[in-house]
This record gives sequence, C-alpha cells and structure tokens, in this order.
Amino acid sequence: MEAPFEAVVAFHSVSKVYGHGAGEVRALDDVTVVVPRGGFTAVMGPSGSGKSTFMNVAAGLDDVSAGEVLVAGHPLHRMDDRARTILRREQVGFVFQSFNLVPTLDVRENVLLPFELAGRRLNAEERAWVDHLISVLGLADRVDHRPGELSGGQQQRVAIARALAPRPAVVLADEPTGNLDTRSSREVLGLLRTAAREYGQTIVMVSHDPVAASYADRVLVLADGRLVGDHDAMSPQQIAELLIGFEAGVA
Amino acid sequence: MTARSDLVLGSRREVGTVGLVAGMCGFYASALLIGSDLLTVDARAAGGESAVGILLGAVAAVFIAVAVYVAAVVIANGVDTVVAGRLRQIAVLRLLGADARSLRGAVVRGATLVAAGGAVTGVLAGTLVGDLTRSVLVGRGSLRDADYTWFPVLAVPAAGVIIVAAAAASWAGSRTVLSATPAQALLGAAVPMPQTRAVGARRRVAAFGLIGCGGLVLLGAAALGEQGGAAGFLLAAFGAMVSGTGILLGARLVVPALVALASRLLGTDPPSKVAARNAVREPGRTTRSTMGLVIGVTLVTTFAAGFAALRTAAHSWDHLTAAQAAQTDQVLRNVSVIMICVVIVSSAIAAVGFVSTMSLGVIQRTREIGLLRALGFTAGQVRTMITKESVALSATAVTFGMALGLAYGALGAQALVGVQTDGFVWGVPGLVLAGIAVAGVLLVLAASWVPSSRAVAVAPVEALRAPG
Repeated sequence: MEAPFEAVVAFHSVSKVYGHGAGEVRALDDVTVVVPRGGFTAVMGPSGSGKSTFMNVAAGLDDVSAGEVLVAGHPLHRMDDRARTILRREQVGFVFQSFNLVPTLDVRENVLLPFELAGRRLNAEERAWVDHLISVLGLADRVDHRPGELSGGQQQRVAIARALAPRPAVVLADEPTGNLDTRSSREVLGLLRTAAREYGQTIVMVSHDPVAASYADRVLVLADGRLVGDHDAMSPQQIAELLIGFEAGVA
Repeated sequence: MTARSDLVLGSRREVGTVGLVAGMCGFYASALLIGSDLLTVDARAAGGESAVGILLGAVAAVFIAVAVYVAAVVIANGVDTVVAGRLRQIAVLRLLGADARSLRGAVVRGATLVAAGGAVTGVLAGTLVGDLTRSVLVGRGSLRDADYTWFPVLAVPAAGVIIVAAAAASWAGSRTVLSATPAQALLGAAVPMPQTRAVGARRRVAAFGLIGCGGLVLLGAAALGEQGGAAGFLLAAFGAMVSGTGILLGARLVVPALVALASRLLGTDPPSKVAARNAVREPGRTTRSTMGLVIGVTLVTTFAAGFAALRTAAHSWDHLTAAQAAQTDQVLRNVSVIMICVVIVSSAIAAVGFVSTMSLGVIQRTREIGLLRALGFTAGQVRTMITKESVALSATAVTFGMALGLAYGALGAQALVGVQTDGFVWGVPGLVLAGIAVAGVLLVLAASWVPSSRAVAVAPVEALRAPG
C-alpha cells in the first residue's frame, strides 16, 4: 500500500438507495472513483445530486446498498458500527457546515479530542504539531475559550485544527463555508488548500459553491447520484457554467 | 397578541411531567387529608379529644406544602428544559412578530393548564383510592364504622395551591424565552449557550445568614434538650426550617461545585470528561434537578435518623422495664415506617422530575451526540457518558441529602429526649440509608437507560441532520 498512487478513498460501483417501490431514491448510482493520497478534491453538484450521501458513505456514517467503499485500505462496507467508529477515529477528520465543536469543551480540548478518544498521549512531535496548528490558525489566544465565545469563522478554524491534528488519512469537509461570511470563507478555504499543498493532507470537500470548489485541484461533479464529471482545477466561472449546464439539463 | 402555547411549548407530551407531578401532588394531598380525617374521626368516636384533629391537620398541611414545593421545583425545571430546547423555534416566532412577553405568557398558560388538569385528576384519584381503602378496612372490621368524610373539602384549596405554584414555577422556568432574539432565527451556525446568571450579593448574604442562624438555633435547641420541655423540639423544628430555607436559597452557589467535584471522581477518559461538563452545563438546571432530590432524601433521612436516634436513646433508659423497652421500640419503629411512607412522596416527585430532565436534555443534544459519534465515540462510550452524567447528579443529591438528614434527625431527637439520655442523642438508620442508596442506583438506571438507548439508536448521520 506504499505505492505513490495510494488510494485513500476508493468507491467501486457504489449505490445507495433510500426507500423502495415508487418512493425509491437512488442517492448514489453506480459511482466509481478513487481519491489518491494528497491533494484537495471538491465534490460538486446541484442540491439532491447525492453530495451529502457521498460524504456520509465515505465517512462510514451511512451504509451502502451495493458496491465497495475503501478508506485507507479498509473495506468499510464489510465493517460493523464499532469497527467503523474506530476507523473514523483513526483515519478520518471532519469539518462540517455547522455545529462542529463540542460546546462544553474549550478550544484546546476540542482540538485534542481525537487523541483522547484514541486513548493516547501526545508525543513531543505531535504536541509541537498541535501548537503549530493552533498558532497558524490564529487561535493561540483563544485556547481557553468555549465555542460559544467564538465567531463562526473562529469555530470553523478550530474544527480545521481538530481535523488536521491527528494527521488522518483523509479530511472530509461538508460545506465548510456554508455558514460563513465571505471573508471567513476565503480564509477557511485558503487554510484547507494550504493543508493539502504544504502538509500533503488529503482533503475531500463537498460544496455547491463554485468559488469554494475553485480552491481545489480536482473537481468531481455529481448529478442524480451519478458521477458525471472529473476535472482538474477550474476557475469559479468555469465551474459555475458547468453546474448551470447540469441544472438546465435537469430542468 | 396572544400566542398559542403549543407553538412555544411543543406537544403536550413534552410538558407531560408538569401534569404528572401536579397529579402526584393532588393525589398525595387528598389521600393525606382523608387519612388525617380518618384518624381524627376515629379518635373522636373513641372518646378522644378534638385537638388531635388540629394537630394532624397542621402536620398534613406541612407535608403537602413540602410536596408542592418539590413539585414546583420540578415544574420550573421541566419548563426551563423544554424552552431551552425550543429557542430556535421561539426565535422564529419572534422574527415573525411575536413579542417576548406574550410568548412567555403563553408558556405559563400552557404549563398551568396542564398542571391544573393533573392536580384535579390527582385529587379525584386520591379521594377515590382513599375512600376505597377505608371502605375495605371498615368492611373487614379493622376500622370503626363512623361518620367519615367522603370528599376532603380542604383538597380544593390544596389543588388551588398546586395550580398557583405551577403558574409561579413555570413563570420562573420560562425566563429563557426572553433571551431568544429574532436575529437568532437567522443564524445557522451559532450554538446558543444560555448565559449563567450570577448569584446576587443579597441572595448570597441571605443564604449564608439563614444557614448560620438556623444552625445556631439548632445547636441551641440541642442544648435546650438537656433541660427538657417542649421548647427544645419546637426550636429545633424552627432552626431546621430556617437553615433549610438558607440552603435552598444558596443552593445555586454550592450545588454546581459539589456536582463538579463528584464528577471529577468519574474518570478522565473522554466520555467521563464530557459527562462531567454536561452535568454542570447549565448551573440553574443542575441545581434544581439536584435540589428536588436533596429535599426528598433529606426528609426521609431526617425521619429515619430521628427515630433511629430515639430508639438508641430509649435503649439506654434504665427506668424502663424490659417489656416497656420492647414496646417503646416497637411503637417507635412503627411510627418511623409510617412517617417515612408519608414523606417519601416528595422523593418520588423529585425522581420523576430528574428522569424527565435527563431524558429531555439528551433528546435536545441529539446533534451533539451525532457529532461525538462522527468523531469516534462508540455507542458504548455515548451510553457511558450519559450514565455518568446521571451518576454525578444523583450521587451528589443522595450524599448531600443524607448528610443533612442525619444532622437534622439527630439534633431533633436530642432536643426531644436529651434530658432523659446521657450524652448526645444520635443514630444511623443503616437499613434506610442502604435503601436510599439502592433507590439512587435505580434512579440512575431509569434516568439514563432510556435516553441513552434512544441516543445510540439514532444513526450519526440522522443525528447530525437533527434540527438544532
């Protein structure tokens, strides 16, 4: 598994069906895609295209109806809830749209939560890394604050610090800028791009915002549960045109 | 403008606890009144004096008042918990043009209506059960056939008191309604954390003053007990009331700290840590759900410890013959059992409140639990977390209540029979304390099993999608 083109997330003919009969919805329809180590991938698509399902399946939060899902080489589709929980704990970092942080824990405790859950002490190198992240993300003077005392942008930066701290195989970001103002959005996206470029962190981001997706160096497009596009980095205008094309096609 | 209360309070089921505890109070009031009427009429038929009736009436009134107080604490907490979980909805109503005062009024009206229904039902049920029990006893010949009352008229004002107390309690518990601003409806990300109100200096002074004065009065009463006479016991009762009021007033200052201390003993792994924070997340709610239990446990322990002390003292009296000593012991034990049965209702009311606050709190944290699951909490760890939170709260309440009860019971007994007994009169009712401890464990299981099962049954994805 040490090949340079290591698959961090791999979907093989993955389908996810909700409901049955007339009310059946194919949220994912025979999706095959490989996300290699390193790099920043955006998953785009109009609402209802299956973006969120893609994310939940990749995170092991949701079962698949058919196909295979591998995260860091582990077959998620064959693992039980407990095994998936532990895989999540060790290999996956999360940044959500909202409600990212445990409100009763302060900033430092939130960032260190993944280590605590894994039940291990930080070694000197990890401690330095966490301190580095906290200072790079501009949180150094906020470490004792509770999430409720921070702005939305600050909360999201704490969530990014928490996601990056244990150096997971992949960071999954679900509409990370959905609740932020323009300036905070740019900041958060810039940080994610930096994490991918400078630290080699694999990041998969789901978004419907063309500007957000333009920060990524690969853009996957979903429509009606199918993978309909796989592009290199694009400008916001190109992405917007691409999406409008699909919306028009659907309408 | 008047707002419909179900818009603010949600379904009637969410305020079900309010109806339940009001009903328990109503049942208790009418049953106790029927019981005291029964004893009075029976004593009169036997040619006894009518002073018994007045005394029993006064005792019943005190116990009913205590039960109503505990129910009010539970109702305030129930309303506060429901409102806290619906702040987003309330903010939307504010955005649409409802003003905060009328929303709060709607909360009070809705909760009071539910309480009124509960109280009336409870009074009727209590009367029915009381009448039936008495008829059976009369029929079996274990009770004189006399002119008993079929409906305790005093239960009507008792129901009135319950309803007024419920209205006051829901007013106190709905303060958070005022904190929801229309702008919050538009904010997606912010997690509203209710800010803690500081305890005022005046309240602080009053609390510690009352505790200090009450404590001194209690000690004085214990010393007076060595002289004999009724004054000592009356003084002790007064001292207990004064210091008890002080403890209730100052609970906000002490209880969260005690719970925090107890939860530090739970461990340092992530579930314990989060549980410890959750236990004191809202100091007001923590205090109320703990203090309800404290009152219940204190009452039971006070009577148990008081009678245990009396029995210990009676053993040491050498002016009694062996037969007299055995008889005294028997009487004391029987009265002790009866008293505990009478006061245990307050504990039951507090326990209902505790279970409901825990369950609602967990339901409201569905999203947060989903987040924890996504981050790597196993289902077992979520269960552990919820159980430990419940342990921290109930262990604090039980320990605090037992300590208070042991002190009150011993001081009361000393004030009563100090003159006849060498040394300080005290006793430890081992069996009752063990019973309370077992009840505490059962309470923890009841309060955490259902909500934690529900919490882990929700898939993390759905939990994360839950409205927050």
